[in-house]
Amino acid sequence: MGRYVIRRLLQFIPTVLGTMFLLHYMTALAIQFSGNPVRALFGDRTPPPALLQAITERLGYGDPCLDQRGNPCFGLFADRLQNIFFHFDFGINLRQREVTDLVADAIPFTLKLLVIAILFEAVVGIAAGVLAGLRGGSFADYLVKISTVFVISVPIFVLGVVVREFVGVKFGNVLRGQDWIPDVISSGMFSPVFKPDYPMASLIIPGMVLGATSLAVTARLTRTSIMENIRADYVRTARAKGLTNKRVIGVHTLRNSLIPVITFLGVDIGAAMAGAVVTETIFNVPGIGRLVTMSARTGESSVVVGVVTMLVLVVLVANLLVDLLYAVLDPRIRYE
Amino acid sequence: MRGKFLKVAVAATATAMLATACGGGGDDNESSGQTGGTLRVYASEPAFLTPSGGDDEPSLYVIRQLFRGLVKYNAESSAVEMDLAESVESEDQKLWTIKLKSGYTFDNGEAVNADAFIRSWNFAAYGPNAQNNGYFMKRIVGKDDVAPADPDGEGPQKAPEPATKELSGLKKVDDLTFTVELDAPFSGFPTTIGYPGFFPMAQACVDDIAKCNETPIGNGPYKIDGSWQHNVAINVVRSDTWKGEAGKPDRIEYRIFADVDAGYAAFQAGELDVMYTLPPARYKEAKATYGDRMYEQPGDSFTYVGMPIYNKAFEDKRIRQALSLSIDRQSIIDAVFDGRFTPATGYVAPTFEGAREGVCKYCAKDVEKAKQLLAEAGGWPAGEKLILWANAGAGHDQWLQAVGDQIKEALGIDYELKVNLQFAEYLETADQKKFTGGFRLGWGPDYPFMETYLYPLYGTGAGSNNSGYTNAEFDALMKEGDSADSIQAAIPSYQKAEDILGEDLPVIPMWWSKVAAVYGENVDQFVWNSVSDADYGATSLKQN
Repeated sequence: MGRYVIRRLLQFIPTVLGTMFLLHYMTALAIQFSGNPVRALFGDRTPPPALLQAITERLGYGDPCLDQRGNPCFGLFADRLQNIFFHFDFGINLRQREVTDLVADAIPFTLKLLVIAILFEAVVGIAAGVLAGLRGGSFADYLVKISTVFVISVPIFVLGVVVREFVGVKFGNVLRGQDWIPDVISSGMFSPVFKPDYPMASLIIPGMVLGATSLAVTARLTRTSIMENIRADYVRTARAKGLTNKRVIGVHTLRNSLIPVITFLGVDIGAAMAGAVVTETIFNVPGIGRLVTMSARTGESSVVVGVVTMLVLVVLVANLLVDLLYAVLDPRIRYE
Repeated sequence: MRGKFLKVAVAATATAMLATACGGGGDDNESSGQTGGTLRVYASEPAFLTPSGGDDEPSLYVIRQLFRGLVKYNAESSAVEMDLAESVESEDQKLWTIKLKSGYTFDNGEAVNADAFIRSWNFAAYGPNAQNNGYFMKRIVGKDDVAPADPDGEGPQKAPEPATKELSGLKKVDDLTFTVELDAPFSGFPTTIGYPGFFPMAQACVDDIAKCNETPIGNGPYKIDGSWQHNVAINVVRSDTWKGEAGKPDRIEYRIFADVDAGYAAFQAGELDVMYTLPPARYKEAKATYGDRMYEQPGDSFTYVGMPIYNKAFEDKRIRQALSLSIDRQSIIDAVFDGRFTPATGYVAPTFEGAREGVCKYCAKDVEKAKQLLAEAGGWPAGEKLILWANAGAGHDQWLQAVGDQIKEALGIDYELKVNLQFAEYLETADQKKFTGGFRLGWGPDYPFMETYLYPLYGTGAGSNNSGYTNAEFDALMKEGDSADSIQAAIPSYQKAEDILGEDLPVIPMWWSKVAAVYGENVDQFVWNSVSDADYGATSLKQN
């Protein structure tokens, strides 16, 4: 077990370095081909060369290799790695703020959003899946099947905007017109966008939107898995032993059925981070996703490289934890 | 944003924004505006909250309430009014003497004296400080000594260390008096110093600029409550140290949005009192829904199609006149922009003192005349396409295509759109004068003075003269205006200079922006300053 974990951790190193280099190269190419992002800050107003240079130097875009198209800028990459790993310095954005500060500001919002999304999809998704799986062909089964197809087929940016406009604005305005509804519900939870006055309540709906697509997948996975396991030999044996239905379903069937679901949820953390890019922009949540969107738009390479590297680490760690969870759930799996 | 074009122009140039400090909302409505309450306004994430750094619209909106400068602008007439200055005078328009009113202080108790201004301007101008508003100190003597140019452009050599940290053109006379020496006479100087780049900074602020950016030490009617909550909100409350006319709301909350559509949803849900801009796609709907709670006014943001005069095909002014005559501006505005712009018939914003209608005689569609002029000029080179440039991903394709279609229909010149360059590279192409055809660009004023629309864009060798236009007579008239005795006396010279442009057409004027803001039911009086835009300090709320 310990050796397995160490081996996995060692595998992180090439993965992270590779990702960082790819990102570094892509952002360098973007600058080489589409020009110095500092120039765009001034827009129509042509800055005096001295000022442009001063700001370009300050922001770290002064390296001459950024003028040579196709140059991978190895020197710049080495500097960047050195700064990140030895000084924990991820550089500054176009507004001269430390990337580490930007991330520190943004991360609490994204974490809250992710927790809401994962909880929502795990609890509701598994419950719906179990309900449908135990009674295949029933009304509940069809309801789950149809509603999940519906959710899966709507892209998250459409769902997000529709929810914001109809649930947040239209329905929310109706609620806000009713005096008996507490503020935390009417103008907190049903606020169309994130609201600093209600930092938790106003994240619930964006979190649910973020979790919606995965919820559908979770429900379907659970359903199929339960249907399969409920006919398995060991379940029949358990019933034959005279165990209560509760125990047969709860311990024997469900525990085994959850293995693929847990795998999915783990991998889904990565997908949810990607979904957060869209959801956070639509609902104006000042988290990591919105940060990446904004910096990619303005070509702030230090932010993109820094944040995405951190995201890669999150996904890697999440995957490792999922793999370790297998052993807990399935006694047949052993790590050597 | 006010238009598809502005999405880029505002986001990126934002420098565009003028000056400052919102006067107290005009004398006429002093009686009715009530004091008190919390005003919640739409905002984007500012770049900086220091006067020397913030040059974009979101920054200026906050800085104008936290800081005050030497002069302010009248909300309606945009005339210059003294704010912290007692007087701003000059004999020769070159050496200016500025006297300050006494008794003003920063929030931390430091006095707002001559040193506060000299300190702030020096800090902005000093090259290694890399302050965006260093740009605005360009007229002051000694600018090149504090920010020397790199000898080999962007090459390996670094710019030399400046020999001095102080502009030699700034001299303190006594505690409340200082002089500013410009490198050439400029009659419009008093109009420029209301821009936030010229606001004072406390010593404590300059000593720790990073901290001051998070928790600004202002000298204006409001002071920051807590500190800047990046990407979330900035809250300001009434400042007790401010001696001038007090702001109307007790507190202003700037809520920061990354996306204007999200902001509009919040406005619809009653979470915001004022939105100074609207998502272009929602303009019509907003107008229908909010009716008299929508504020509309002609704006000052200029869109033009530049002509590369350095290219042989565009050398003859009759070619440029013919192209301009083939375009029906209003029809494009109606079809593409839902009427959110005003057709341009001159080079100076219609709201500016000295602006006239119809300066450009070639800006209304006249196909016959266009054909005739084109024939006189020897026609368009056979087999060549007219290339129209715009930056990518900013929604310029549609209107530029309409322009191309109209030219093709009128003159039979086939066109090609070139809209694949990102903004940064596009601007570099402009700086290097490498355009091969008409190019879309925009301009916003730096100060309420005609000159801001003329010299920077068309003066020989001027920074943003992307057409490569040179006209000795124009330059001479600009000089004449610059050294006139007063702001008013300068106008006739500038008007003559504008007439030359109307004939020469170095760029084809397209249209002016329109301001469209919405405000909530609980807003009693919404004040828009014609120079510095929405004035939150002067906007009052209904009191129960």
